[in-house]
Amino acid sequence: MAHPDTTYERQHPAFYAVIFTLVFMSVGPIALMFINSFKLDVDIISGTTGLLFLPTIQNYETALCDILPYELDHLDYCSLKFGGAFINSIIITLISTVLTLIIGCMAAYALVRFRFMGRDTVSGTTLMVRMVPPAVLLVPVFGLWNNEFCIGRETWVGEIIRDTFGGRGDVCLAGTHSGIILVYIAMNLPFVIWILQSFIVQVPRQLEEAARMDGAGSFQVFFKVVLPLIKPGLAAAAIFTFRIAWNEYLLASALSDRDTKTVPILIVNNMSEFNVEWGVIMATGMLLAIPPIIFTLFASRQIITGMTAGAVKG
Amino acid sequence: MLATQAFASPYDAYKGTTLVVNFPAHPHYNAVMKILPEFTKETGIEVEVDQLPYLKMRERQTLELGQDEGDYDLIAYVVFSKADYVYADQLENLARYFMNPKLADPNYDADDLIDGYVYNIGFAGGNKGYLEGKTGSLFGVPYGSETSILGYRKDIFDKHGLKVPTNYDELLETACKIPQLEPGMGGLSSRAASGHHASHAFLLHLAPLGGRIFDDQWNPIINNAEGIKAANALKTIVDCGPKGAATFGFGEALGSFLNGDTAMFLDTTVVAGQINDPKKSKVVGKVGWAMHPMGVRRGSQTGGFGIGIPKNAANKEAAFLLMQWLTSKKGDKLVALAGGNPSRFSTHDDADVNKKFPHMRTFGEALKHADPDWRPIIPVWGKINADIGTSLSKVLTEGLDTKVALDGVAERTRKIMQEAGYYTWQ
Amino acid sequence: MSYSTINRLTPYIFLAPALVIMVIALLYPLGYMVFGSFRDWDPSQSIGETSFIGLGNYISLWNDPNFHESLIVTLKFAITVVFVEMIVGVGLALLLDRNLRGMSVLRTMFILPMMIAPVVVGLIWRYMYHPSIGIFNQTLEKIGLGSVDWLGQHALLSVIIADIWQWTPFIFILSLAALQSLPRSALEAARIDGASGWQQIIYIKIPLMMPVLIVTCLLRLIDAFKVLEVILVMTEGGPGLSTEILALRISRTATEFRELGVAAAMSNYLLMLLLILTIIMLAFNKLQEMKAERQRRAVEAEKG
Repeated sequence: MAHPDTTYERQHPAFYAVIFTLVFMSVGPIALMFINSFKLDVDIISGTTGLLFLPTIQNYETALCDILPYELDHLDYCSLKFGGAFINSIIITLISTVLTLIIGCMAAYALVRFRFMGRDTVSGTTLMVRMVPPAVLLVPVFGLWNNEFCIGRETWVGEIIRDTFGGRGDVCLAGTHSGIILVYIAMNLPFVIWILQSFIVQVPRQLEEAARMDGAGSFQVFFKVVLPLIKPGLAAAAIFTFRIAWNEYLLASALSDRDTKTVPILIVNNMSEFNVEWGVIMATGMLLAIPPIIFTLFASRQIITGMTAGAVKG
Repeated sequence: MLATQAFASPYDAYKGTTLVVNFPAHPHYNAVMKILPEFTKETGIEVEVDQLPYLKMRERQTLELGQDEGDYDLIAYVVFSKADYVYADQLENLARYFMNPKLADPNYDADDLIDGYVYNIGFAGGNKGYLEGKTGSLFGVPYGSETSILGYRKDIFDKHGLKVPTNYDELLETACKIPQLEPGMGGLSSRAASGHHASHAFLLHLAPLGGRIFDDQWNPIINNAEGIKAANALKTIVDCGPKGAATFGFGEALGSFLNGDTAMFLDTTVVAGQINDPKKSKVVGKVGWAMHPMGVRRGSQTGGFGIGIPKNAANKEAAFLLMQWLTSKKGDKLVALAGGNPSRFSTHDDADVNKKFPHMRTFGEALKHADPDWRPIIPVWGKINADIGTSLSKVLTEGLDTKVALDGVAERTRKIMQEAGYYTWQ
Repeated sequence: MSYSTINRLTPYIFLAPALVIMVIALLYPLGYMVFGSFRDWDPSQSIGETSFIGLGNYISLWNDPNFHESLIVTLKFAITVVFVEMIVGVGLALLLDRNLRGMSVLRTMFILPMMIAPVVVGLIWRYMYHPSIGIFNQTLEKIGLGSVDWLGQHALLSVIIADIWQWTPFIFILSLAALQSLPRSALEAARIDGASGWQQIIYIKIPLMMPVLIVTCLLRLIDAFKVLEVILVMTEGGPGLSTEILALRISRTATEFRELGVAAAMSNYLLMLLLILTIIMLAFNKLQEMKAERQRRAVEAEKG
């Protein structure tokens, strides 16, 4: 890690040229999207790559038409319900991130600090399921969530749900926010458990024992002593969980219905064959990319810590 | 409800109902979105639209129609979904509704609907199981009727004294002459991307050139001389097309024509609205329209969508009222004026519509020659279609031999048909 | 309940929520999928209504040339991207492992492509590869080199380039971290002995980094088999099947062809492949741990 107070040795200017080129290469495409999101389609298609154009926020207005307080002159009707999808994405991502962290943290603590029957099995299984690709989960999750994980609408729970939330047919996990949240938690847990284990190991046992001497129970020790000490690990785990849940497309598209679509689904749908409206697509892409970009700019240290911890430990 | 209101209009009993409908993201249905508020104003029935890309729409419908109670009251379906849905008993037979005096509007004039489309999109159970005929009946109404038509750049054709092609030889010759006359310009932009696009482009040429996928006994004949000729025609068109043509989807093919990179466009009529929209097109006013060139016969495509009522819908009667309103003379004209594709003869001849869209009469003429059997509409078609698309894409980009590719398709198709039980009676 | 029973139960209480969720949403579905892969299964049926067809799905895949092609495309894709990314990533890390101003900026900017959604990465590259309005062809034409049919004839190469853009930084950052945590003493000793830069890299740095590099490589390889959205948005698997990687074919088989049983069998093939890679990785880790342990003992023995 770089130390803030290191004095830099003089280096050959060629190195700076290399660094500059690399930064340009990794940021360039994103910057291109950013610029194009402020162009009208006519400007994009005519291919003036330069910066000489009249910036417009029309693409963003089109994308967010369903939550803007005013009517738009350039649209006959609002087709892209981006605002709603954005809200769905936020709900799903936040809830799944918070739950994954709490549950994952507890599990990681148990695996590190206790010796108990089945520990190795649990630990090994957790490691193995980390490699399961979302595409592999597609078929079973689709089948289960739509057909098996259902409450009949005649049962009293089903009736209560239908009376409160409306909708038709049996109450199934598919099409609900909870259905998607459940998959995301499950997908992220193995990684979070793994990464947090490496942070919990570093918490000095003496601190925990001292707290226990003062009469704290296991749960108090966990919440009052351990959790505050592994904050950097939690931050890293939070960002990675957020990233997966926020960006995921495949499972969400199989499980969501018209009211629970997330932003990535909308973007893919909007690349439909009849009108590839580049400007609007770039604007939606930009809106989806903003939260991860903010995280990267403000928490790159945590991300790198998380990456190294996650990889080095296997 | 008060008695005085109850008799005021046939819609009153359904006032306040909210219909959930599933429409594709497609220019015609974008036009429909503009006229729906009119329906709500007139009838008091609210409509909530779930608009999806059409392949996505089919996935969603497969799921929804399979449940005991589905979300959708009315669906738009692609022609080739008809077979699946009717066969799985998921669509309402419309006879019950057209017989119901409280629902059916006596002024509907069903005879005004274009025959080929009613048979192609709405009928099932007749000849070959999927066409009109003595045993057939109606499960949907065509809405958003498309056929293929040739768009050409009048300015380019005038400049070089080119003749608008009327048959396939002229078409191919002109398509390949243009890149020489106008360097950088492609001849004809066609879709060609792997999968559905390539298959569609091939079928577009297969029917006029005299080919078919199956003979009357369901034996695949896609690899006969006509089939090979159609595939070669597609290859020639792509080779003489704009750069990158081999990977064009519909959007890219149209985009290239709109941008002035191509001199001709042979595909669905649905594009007319965009070609005349200065926000999207650089060729406004420069495009002329002609009939799909003839091969050994006239056989332009029948495509587009139909609307039907799912068996598991909650508000079937109100859904029928919406369907009837949309496809009525009034609704058809409204949607045509909003930029949609009308499905009635009268709308194509309508003075107001022609004033706004002068090409409408030519389109009406083309629709009369539309071939309802240009592709089979059977439940296993999706798989065969994907195979044709993949194989032809290999012909276009990897230089696979046409004959080899089509022989392969025929062989695999026979296996699929065998498994599906089409040879039981042989 | 006595105090000690509660004590004995504590770990299970801590573990319970995670276990319940992973069983419901990972292990049970995986079992369900294995079960479904032996059945003729269509999305409109619940699995109880399907019929058992034994190994039918597996055998028909085994004989399906399209599946073979897709498998080959997947392997070509995964191996090429990992190979190139390793060389470039490690190379850059070795080159830039010095006190340079701007390194923290580079590290931050390098993470960006990994953090944004694959869907967005796909759309950016699809735009840049566009035959006429894309930036590559426009630039090429401006300097008179003519245009390239990126997502056509060179589709596989094009998606590989996009993946390299997105993931080389991952290797770079990990190998840089590994380099910077190398024991200073070994490097000092080499420098004093007069080893040149190259010699230091080849004889000291790379061997010392090896364990980390191998794990990184395997991790990346496993991830490369998971790639889907980027390719879906860029090419949808085409032209032909030239970019139809397995993950994409699974999702198409399930949603477009509506053959859940076949898709499940295909998922199992993919899973087996990944299982082998994971086992190699775990075994390697174990080996490293054992080696470290032995060295520690040896040192202790020497001291004793």
